[in-house]
Amino acid sequence: MAANKGDYPKPRPAISALNRPYWDALRRREFVLQRCGECGMRWYPPAPLCPRCWSRRIEWTPASGRGRVSSWVVFHQSYFRGFDAEIPYNVAEVELEEGPRLLTNLVGVRNEEIRSGMEVEVVFDDAAPDLTLAKFRPRRASA
Amino acid sequence: MPPFELKDRAAIAGAGASAYGRRLMRSAIDLAADAIAAALDDAGLARERLDGMIVTFGSPIGADADTLAQVLNLKLRAYNQTWAHGRFTASAIQWAALMVAGGMADYVACLASVSFSGFRRPMMGGAGDSEGAREAGGSHGEDPVFGMTSPGAGAALVARRYFERYGATSAQLAAVPVAFRKHAALNPAAIMREPFSIGDHQASRFVCEPLHLLDYCLINDGAACVIVTSAERARDLRKPPIYIAGMQPLPAGREEFIWAYPGFGVAQQSVFDYDAGEQPVYRMAGVGPRDIDALFTYDAFSILAWIALERFGFCKPGEAAAFTQDGRIELGGALPMNVNGGLLSEAHIMGWNHQVEIARQLRGECGPRQVAGAEVIQWANAYGDSLIYHR
Repeated sequence: MAANKGDYPKPRPAISALNRPYWDALRRREFVLQRCGECGMRWYPPAPLCPRCWSRRIEWTPASGRGRVSSWVVFHQSYFRGFDAEIPYNVAEVELEEGPRLLTNLVGVRNEEIRSGMEVEVVFDDAAPDLTLAKFRPRRASA
Repeated sequence: MPPFELKDRAAIAGAGASAYGRRLMRSAIDLAADAIAAALDDAGLARERLDGMIVTFGSPIGADADTLAQVLNLKLRAYNQTWAHGRFTASAIQWAALMVAGGMADYVACLASVSFSGFRRPMMGGAGDSEGAREAGGSHGEDPVFGMTSPGAGAALVARRYFERYGATSAQLAAVPVAFRKHAALNPAAIMREPFSIGDHQASRFVCEPLHLLDYCLINDGAACVIVTSAERARDLRKPPIYIAGMQPLPAGREEFIWAYPGFGVAQQSVFDYDAGEQPVYRMAGVGPRDIDALFTYDAFSILAWIALERFGFCKPGEAAAFTQDGRIELGGALPMNVNGGLLSEAHIMGWNHQVEIARQLRGECGPRQVAGAEVIQWANAYGDSLIYHR
């Protein structure tokens, strides 16, 4: 990961030429995934070609930002000083409506209330002036 | 059919280890030297005849193959080394068998050494964890941006999903580390020998929930080594050969996750009902799960034992929780597992301590923890690779 900048105490993402569009979009408060122009597949993590058909005709397009919790853990041990104040903190794997899964922190829910299959939606966390993270919260009934 | 048959063509001719300990304050090179010397002595093989080496865990925590050749004055015709993960034990033995069959080397030392006490920076999770810096994320699910770090956290994701999908519990999972600790109590080389109860397991602190401290293996110092050679050469050495009858390589892809079989639904895996079918290792060896006298597995975390049992068809998905109860995986049970105590209680030598124990078990050298009449022993892992050995 890149060296910490400014006062942000947590690990920063390793931004590369491949994944930069994802992180740039988050700063604009857009949640995007790659999409194959040939077969329509959506995937994560970022890839240089479509994992299904190997087409290079791929684009970053808005995704629903909705999904379900497929698994989760709660950290009780300190590994990163930047997370110490939040222990015990959760990390969830969310299966997006488009198919791929990603790791995130769930917000707006107590750790004891997290359930497998829980419907969640993206929330943009402006973690630092130059960094926005995709976190997820339980979907509201009206959504 | 493969172009040539490897069944029973290669064998383990010698097995040896250094002392194991939490903080031995010895260098990895020193520990590796002990293990290599012990394995050569076990085989009755002069060090001048050792001409191949494969190391599966090198610097900065372990000793590298080229370093060992320099420092120990070995004349290696061929060597190789994997990057520093525990998963490459079966791969190394398989490559050694191929090297021997192809004439690239005659006697191949396969080993790993670790000296965590000689290394200050935390490597297993946290800022020093190079896994989290890998482009596209770590192979155990590491994603430090969200605080997701350490191989155990990936195992915790699998455990949670298992508990949710099959209604299994942490108290059932406790049967695995409880069993392996009982075995370690019979093993003078084991680091952790004090038996504990399911209640002790449940009372131990969470590291990454739902996994408790006692679901986690040791972080320690030590080295272990086996010498692979051809079956013909092995027959001329000091001890009876341990034949390698079956081999199944290490798979990778989107349907794989290091701690779960295909269909499990972690990382980018599909979700479907996994069917072990006939795993290739059994076809090659000409045996099935029922013929296995003892099973050894990479038990960095207790849940991996359940995943391995299901992956290889000892039981169906969701059944390992019940399968591992009532002493079935303990010495004297129907399928004794990790009778050395495993990574959980003997030592974490990347699975090389398990290979040493398998050789000793098949020669009947294990005293109070000997599996009576052991003839066929399998090494089979959550991540899908395997070896079947027989005496």
